[in-house]
Amino acid sequence: MPISFEHVSYIYSKGTPYEYKALDDVCLDIEEGKMTAVIGQTGSGKSTLVQHLNALLLPETGTVKVLDRTITASEKPKRLKSLRGDVGLVFQFPEYQLFEETVLKDVAFGPKNFGASEEEAKKRALNALKLVGLGEEYCERSPLELSGGQKRRIAIAGILAMNPKVLVLDEPTAGLDPKGTESMMKLFHELNRGHGKTILIVTHDMEQVFRYCDRVIVMEDGKVRVHTDTETFFRNPAACQEMHILPPALIRMKELLKENGFEVPDDILSIDALADCIARQVKKHG
Amino acid sequence: MGNITLGRYIPLDSPIHKMDPRAKIMAMLLVLIAIFFPAGWTGYAIIFAAAALTIIIGKLSFTFIWKAMKPMLFMLAFLFVINAFLLKTGDPLFTVGSFTLYSDAVFQTLYIAVRLLLMVMITTCLTATTKPLDMTLGIEDLLKPFQKIHVPAHEIAMLISIALRFIPDLIDETQRIIKAQESRGVDLQEGKLTDRIMAILSLIVPLFVSAFQRAEDLANAMEARGYAPGEKRTRYKVLKMEGRDYILLAGAVLLLAGMVWLAYFR
Amino acid sequence: MSVIEVKNLTFSYDDTRTTIDDVSFEIEEGMYTTIVGHNGSGKSTVAKLLAGLLEKKSGSIIIDGMELNLENLPKIRNRIGIVFQNPDNQFIGSTVRDDIAFGLENHCVPQEEMDGIILANAERVHMTKYLDHEPTRLSGGQKQRVAIAGVLAMKPKILIFDEATSMLDPSGKDEIKRVIRNIHKESSLTIISITHDIDEVAGSDRVIALEKGKVAMSGTPHEVFSDVEELRKIQLDVPFSLKLQEALAQRGVQTDKHITMEGLVKELCRSRSNM
Repeated sequence: MPISFEHVSYIYSKGTPYEYKALDDVCLDIEEGKMTAVIGQTGSGKSTLVQHLNALLLPETGTVKVLDRTITASEKPKRLKSLRGDVGLVFQFPEYQLFEETVLKDVAFGPKNFGASEEEAKKRALNALKLVGLGEEYCERSPLELSGGQKRRIAIAGILAMNPKVLVLDEPTAGLDPKGTESMMKLFHELNRGHGKTILIVTHDMEQVFRYCDRVIVMEDGKVRVHTDTETFFRNPAACQEMHILPPALIRMKELLKENGFEVPDDILSIDALADCIARQVKKHG
Repeated sequence: MGNITLGRYIPLDSPIHKMDPRAKIMAMLLVLIAIFFPAGWTGYAIIFAAAALTIIIGKLSFTFIWKAMKPMLFMLAFLFVINAFLLKTGDPLFTVGSFTLYSDAVFQTLYIAVRLLLMVMITTCLTATTKPLDMTLGIEDLLKPFQKIHVPAHEIAMLISIALRFIPDLIDETQRIIKAQESRGVDLQEGKLTDRIMAILSLIVPLFVSAFQRAEDLANAMEARGYAPGEKRTRYKVLKMEGRDYILLAGAVLLLAGMVWLAYFR
Repeated sequence: MSVIEVKNLTFSYDDTRTTIDDVSFEIEEGMYTTIVGHNGSGKSTVAKLLAGLLEKKSGSIIIDGMELNLENLPKIRNRIGIVFQNPDNQFIGSTVRDDIAFGLENHCVPQEEMDGIILANAERVHMTKYLDHEPTRLSGGQKQRVAIAGVLAMKPKILIFDEATSMLDPSGKDEIKRVIRNIHKESSLTIISITHDIDEVAGSDRVIALEKGKVAMSGTPHEVFSDVEELRKIQLDVPFSLKLQEALAQRGVQTDKHITMEGLVKELCRSRSNM
């Protein structure tokens, strides 16, 4: 198990009137090589949870184990730096962290901070840019003059260039149009399946969770409410509704069909399988 | 941020909090001027008493004032050292080797320390009891007479209130960018000079980019809602002077007159 | 009657490319129109042109019978309200109350009338409990509701939402969509919403789809969504019910075009019992 939380609690503004418990005795194991979605309402503790993974936040109580390290409240900041190279964290709206004059320099910034030579950093940057689908023609352009979707890809490349084993993304598709969202999710899928990266995605988009993620973690009031695999999770739409989660369209369609007397087996999880099932029943009656 | 008390608003319910910001600003200016008259220790004792009274009525605590003073202690200590070496008038107090401390060095420093304390007390009485927005409204109204000589009173006030409105947002933004760059291996605590410069650049550039974006959005939002600088507009918050405001002003005028008398006509 | 007439509108930010290229459309009074298109298709630019925040290069925009030009701009500003994407960057006042008052001050509404107007409009977006709250203590959805109240307070005839829900979480999105629907239902306001939200589009009266600065499709949601091929060509989302209908057609089950799941299920039920 590369990542585990053991009785982790985190409190913001401790000792002030604004004190607020963002994580409350969280115990959690995250599987290696999987793509895991972290969902839950705003303020449920999702962002706080993921910021523990690269030790931007240290647990108030409890321990976080990431790869071969153990992080506790008393951790010295010096020892944490190398962890940040192994666990790449992409913040929400990461395009706002670009600052260099050229795309290549910006992407090479991360590896250089972790001690890579100029040459090595450049090589890694070029690789990372290729991974996110941006060719060499972008290298010498200013990141600030590109489109929103391209900027975001560059920011993600900046994290990938550090060659992390674990990639954590906080709402990576927020503000993108359907097409941009689609290709972004395909990129993460490829990084997971093709390059073996463990991926955690904080998201509100159930369609994407349903299509691409293996596991689902639901946060609620600073606690892990559900942690299961995606298929099992969406087999129970009633539980989703109770947690204020709108199930993906396919699941909603299945429910609607069932309410209207169609027989829809639980294991139907694709549009083609659903069409087969409906066609059989409509024709049988004919 | 939590440790800075100078200039911070303390939301309480007191007669001073309820006063008209214009009266408070004017009174503060008058008393600040009064402090600069050489009215001697009697004068300072009177001003101190008046300030202390205001602090008590305003339900503020003296520890709060003390905290505001603290950052200035270093400055005062520095001043005392300079005075001790340069001022050689008055009675010699004691001698260590070739160095002799004279009474004027002590008195001069004390004099400045007292003035500084009084100034901090007086300004805190204003800032701790007046909401930033009310303060801008007060400044706008007080600057109005100067519009004739082309002082853009309303624009200045609008500028200050927008700055105040966006400070918390910019602090949040800064913290987010710090975390994002720390995730890319930026070390803000240590490192070589060149690395430190890069680290700071990696914060400042994104901060500027987002501030410009904000400014553009804000300008659009303001324009779309009919705002045009220089155009006539009405105002939602109207300030009204009441009995207690006039009492405060009268008190401040009296204090100033008293200091002038103590300094020159006694 | 059309309240907005756009004819041969052209605009560019710089000389290298045309952002809006010979666009013409009309919007009828009281209609709920959605404008769709992928990022960079020019839809937000159209919103800014309609609100008079950008100056067109050529063509004409007639709003409520008046040509949109510098001379008429102040009058037209009274009739058009716009709510933007970012909840933080359009909150100008230091409290909810002050923010709603901001537009009133600009329109020289007498001070004694303001409290009544503020309260009435805060009520329309259910924000009366928060009148003295500062923006930092509000959620994204609440801030957008305040922005809507601030715009409504100026009694516009046309309300534009420029991706007003795109930065909100699901509950914030629902909150704002509900508020917009209610406003449309209980008033004669013309609503133009620029959006990626397929459910919002399906529930609107008319759709205009933009692609590369031109109008690619327009009509009722039913008409626009029915042309699945064209939708895919301009990189727009196809509603789930239509995707399922395609898959069903491949299996020999023909149905009418339905843009909602409910409609499709109803027909499937019928054909099951009829056949």
